[in-house]
Amino acid sequence: MSTSMIEVRGLYKNFGKLEVLRGIDCQVAAGEVVVIIGPSGSGKSTFLRCLNLLEEPTAGSIIIDGVELNNPSTDINLIRQKVGMVFQSFNLFPHKTALENIVLAPMVVKKMSRQDAQAKAFELLRKVGLEEKAHTYPDQLSGGQQQRVAIARALAMEPKVMLFDEPTSALDPEMVGEVLAVMRDLACEGMTMVVVTHEMRFAREVADRVIFMDEGRIVEEGPPGKIFREPENPRTRAFLSKFL
Amino acid sequence: MEFIWRNLPYLLLGAVETLKITCLAVSLGCVFGLIVGLGRLSRNRVIRFLSTCYVDFLRGTPLLVQIFIVYFGLPQLLEQLQSFLVESWGLPRLFTSTHIPAFAAAIIATSLNSGAYVAEIFRAGIQSIPKGQMEAARSLGMTYRQAMRYVILPQAVRNIIPPLGNEFIAMLKDTSLLSVIGIVELTRRGQIIIASTFRPFEIWLTVAFIYLILTLSISRLVDYWEKRLRVRT
Repeated sequence: MSTSMIEVRGLYKNFGKLEVLRGIDCQVAAGEVVVIIGPSGSGKSTFLRCLNLLEEPTAGSIIIDGVELNNPSTDINLIRQKVGMVFQSFNLFPHKTALENIVLAPMVVKKMSRQDAQAKAFELLRKVGLEEKAHTYPDQLSGGQQQRVAIARALAMEPKVMLFDEPTSALDPEMVGEVLAVMRDLACEGMTMVVVTHEMRFAREVADRVIFMDEGRIVEEGPPGKIFREPENPRTRAFLSKFL
Repeated sequence: MEFIWRNLPYLLLGAVETLKITCLAVSLGCVFGLIVGLGRLSRNRVIRFLSTCYVDFLRGTPLLVQIFIVYFGLPQLLEQLQSFLVESWGLPRLFTSTHIPAFAAAIIATSLNSGAYVAEIFRAGIQSIPKGQMEAARSLGMTYRQAMRYVILPQAVRNIIPPLGNEFIAMLKDTSLLSVIGIVELTRRGQIIIASTFRPFEIWLTVAFIYLILTLSISRLVDYWEKRLRVRT
């Protein structure tokens, strides 16, 4: 596949003696939306965190947009600019307003002028429906609003890939929808996305492909219609039965 | 009372000197402290080890001994080093005397000492910031330095100010030790007056009160500053 955005081969990750990832092979095409599901402790988040080297793989190779991550000559900060990440706990910078959260990295990393960065930030805030909250501090925002700002912050670096690490798990139920709506828009615009989530409806409706992970391996993958309706592997079936 | 009044201006000049030395010591201590504090968090084992040695040595030995090492010990070391260089390398003598002026020795000893305490304050302040903050900053493509400067340190400052105030107060009191190497600060001025008047009780009590007024005002100031940082507008 020539348009492969992410290519992972033989990825292993150990924490001390604990083997968290035991040989992951996976490709994500440009513009594809991949949703990773699986029980907690299956290594989904670790896998995601390997993709921007927040965790250093024990073995294996990761190629993003044609650049090999474990190559010592690779500038990891350059890769991270191309790979946006959204965290379960939002991780907004509490000492900065929503707007400042968004403009910080473009100004510091890309040396963008404040004017340009702010124009871009307002555009992104409009996109996530929070233009009027530009000058609000994170602790004055609801969880859903914080996560939308966090998505805008990641988008400000104009990434080619967006990683979502359980973006709605820390949210009250009534706020899940607004965050998923933003993600859905993003998917429609053709963003390459890898999403770890327990939101099965989102997976079914938005994903191009669903990956089921268990015990550090990819157990089964395929289009959501197939995974949800007729899973082949008994473990997938057992896991999904808990959601229906 | 009249006696105290008469000697007060002389003592207050000493208090000014005490404040001056404390400010210098803690400011320089902050510079050392930031470097060593970050060194303690470094991924490089050698840097971490050296930083830990620095902190352990300076916190684990008395300041008085450290003052003696700098004021009396260092000149001897420098002298021997110079003789060695002159004899075996044929270098010209650079210093006719390796004596270190008392004031310089005082600042070196106190700032190095303060640096060790400040390093621990910085380290704890930085570690109190949740790990997710560094991860979020790095995931946006910031380098470690950029993340520290724009994300971690500005948040850590809020946790650092109260213990830094305590360190300032502790150092203010400890500068009284410098009287032994002839620095004419508050305590030394007290000694000088007593030497000619033989009235230790009034003088030492006055000296104590001046220290007390200084430390209380500083702790008030720190409280006020801390509250202002909490309420951000």
